Amino acid sequence: MTPELKHFFDSMGAYFEGVPEGVGLERLYAAHPGWQTPRTRTALYGGFVRGHVRGALEKLFPLSRHAVGEAAWDALVEEYTRTRPARHYEINRLGEAFPAHVADRVEALGLAPHVPALARFEWADFAVFASEEVAPEVVERLTANPTLTVLEHAFRICAHVRAGDARKVPDAGEELALLWRHPGQLATFYMEATPSALLVLKMAVEGLTAEHVAAATGMSEAQVRADVVRFARDGLVLLPPESK
Amino acid sequence: MPASYAHRHGLRALGAGIGLRRDFYEALPRTERALDWVEIIPENFLTLGGRTQRALDACRERWSVLPHGVGLNIGGPDALDEDYVSRLSALVRRVDAPFFSDHLCYSRLGGVHLHDLLPLPFTEAAVEHVVPRVREVMARVGRPFLLENPSYYAKMPGGTLAEADFLRHVVEQADCGLLLDVNNVYVNAMNHGYDARAFVDALPLERVVQIHLAGHEVRPDVLIDTHGASVCDEVWALYRYTIARTGAVSTLIEWDQDIPSLDAVLDEADRARGVLREELRR
Ligand SMILES: [Fe+2]
Repeated sequence: MTPELKHFFDSMGAYFEGVPEGVGLERLYAAHPGWQTPRTRTALYGGFVRGHVRGALEKLFPLSRHAVGEAAWDALVEEYTRTRPARHYEINRLGEAFPAHVADRVEALGLAPHVPALARFEWADFAVFASEEVAPEVVERLTANPTLTVLEHAFRICAHVRAGDARKVPDAGEELALLWRHPGQLATFYMEATPSALLVLKMAVEGLTAEHVAAATGMSEAQVRADVVRFARDGLVLLPPESK
Repeated sequence: MPASYAHRHGLRALGAGIGLRRDFYEALPRTERALDWVEIIPENFLTLGGRTQRALDACRERWSVLPHGVGLNIGGPDALDEDYVSRLSALVRRVDAPFFSDHLCYSRLGGVHLHDLLPLPFTEAAVEHVVPRVREVMARVGRPFLLENPSYYAKMPGGTLAEADFLRHVVEQADCGLLLDVNNVYVNAMNHGYDARAFVDALPLERVVQIHLAGHEVRPDVLIDTHGASVCDEVWALYRYTIARTGAVSTLIEWDQDIPSLDAVLDEADRARGVLREELRR
C-alpha cells in the first residue's frame, strides 16, 4: 500500500472513530488540503456508519430502549459506538457487548436497576434465535435442547417481557430464566425455571429415567412422564422416537 | 469484443432473480410464481442458524443461489478476514453457486466493521492495492467472482482516474467479472453530473455477468441508493440500453429497506424477465 493510500485510510478511520461530527469532518478535510468534495456529501457517510450501529441496537433491544427513555438511550448508543466498535462482519453481533455496557452505565445515567438484566435477556433472545446449534432430528435418549441458555437475575424479567409493557418496572425477585429455540418453529421460547422444568432438564442431563425420579421424589411415574412430554412439546428437551 | 468473462467461465444467464430477505423466509420458498434464481447476502448465512438456514435450504432445493456479499472489504487496508473467507468459501460450495460477488469498496478499518460500502479514491494506488486481494479471494474460494460498481456520494481525495477507468483497471487486472448495478450508475450519474449511458459505454461490458436493479430515495440535493423503492423509469430505460449492449445477463431486483410484498418484488422480476426475453428475441 502506498503512503498516500495509507494516509487516506488513516484519516477515514479517525473520522469514523466517533469524535463529534463537526470536529471529525474538519479534521478529515484538514488531512486532505484541496479536497473539493462538498462536506455535506462526505458527512453522509459518518451518518450512515453511526446509523448502522444505532439501527442494529434498536432492533435488538427494543424493550431496553423504551425502559431507559430517549435521552439515556441516545447517550448509551453514542458511548457504545465510540467505546466498543463492531468487531464482527455479522452486524447483529455488534450488540453482544451492549448489555455489559448498559450495566456499566446504570449509575452514571440513572437507569432503572432492572435494565441490565432486561438488555441481557434481549441479547439472549436473539442469540438463541440465531444460534448455530442444530437440534438433532433424532436423539437416542432424553436430551436438553442444545440452544438452551440460562440467565440468573434479581427481577421477574420473564413475566415482564411477556406483559410487553416496557414502561412498567418488573417485580423484584430472584429468577432463573430459561431461553431456547423451539426445534420445529425455530422461534425463541422462554420461561422462568420451575421445579418441574428443572427436574426434566436434570433427567436429560443426568440420564435419569421416570421410574428412577418417581422413586427418588415420591412423585407418580405418570406425573413425571407427563412433565417430560409437556416440556418436549415446547422443545425444552428432545425426546427419542419411541417416547413420542 | 473480447471473449466474455461469462463465456470463458461457462456461466449462463440465469434470468430474473430476487433477494432472499428475512421478510420472505417463509413465503419465498413456497411461491408458485415465476422466479429464476435467488440472491443471498452471505453475512446473514455465515454464522446465523435456525430460520435463516431453513429458508436457505428450502430455496436451494428450487433455485440457483448466488451469494452477494457486503463484508469482504476487498478495498480496505486490513488483511482479509480468515474466518469470513473460509466460511464464505464453504457457503459458496454448500449452495454450489456458479459465482459469487461483493462490492468494489472498503467496509472495515483498524479491525472495526463499519457495515457500509465506502468508496475508494479513484487512483492507481488503490487499483494496485485491490487487484492482488481479488486474486487471493478467487484463489481461496475457487469460483468465478464479480465486483459490483458501488454507489458513492462523495469523490474521495486524491483521485486521478475516471470512475469507469478505475473499475476497468481493477476487473481487467484482477481478471474478475463485473456486477453492474444499473441503479448505482444512474444515482452516481445524477449525483456527480455525468452521462449514465456514456458511463456504461466506457465499461468493460464483456465482463458483465450480472445486473442489479433497485430503487433509490430522491432528496433535494442528492439521490440515496436505499434499495427501498421501486425501480424508476429512468433506470428501466438505462437497463434496456445496457442489455442491448451486454446481451441478456442474470438480473436481480434488489430490495433492502421498506420491503414491499413478495408479489410486488416478483412483479418487478417479471418485468426484468420481459426485457431479457425481448433481448433474446432481437
Ligand atoms: Fe447492487
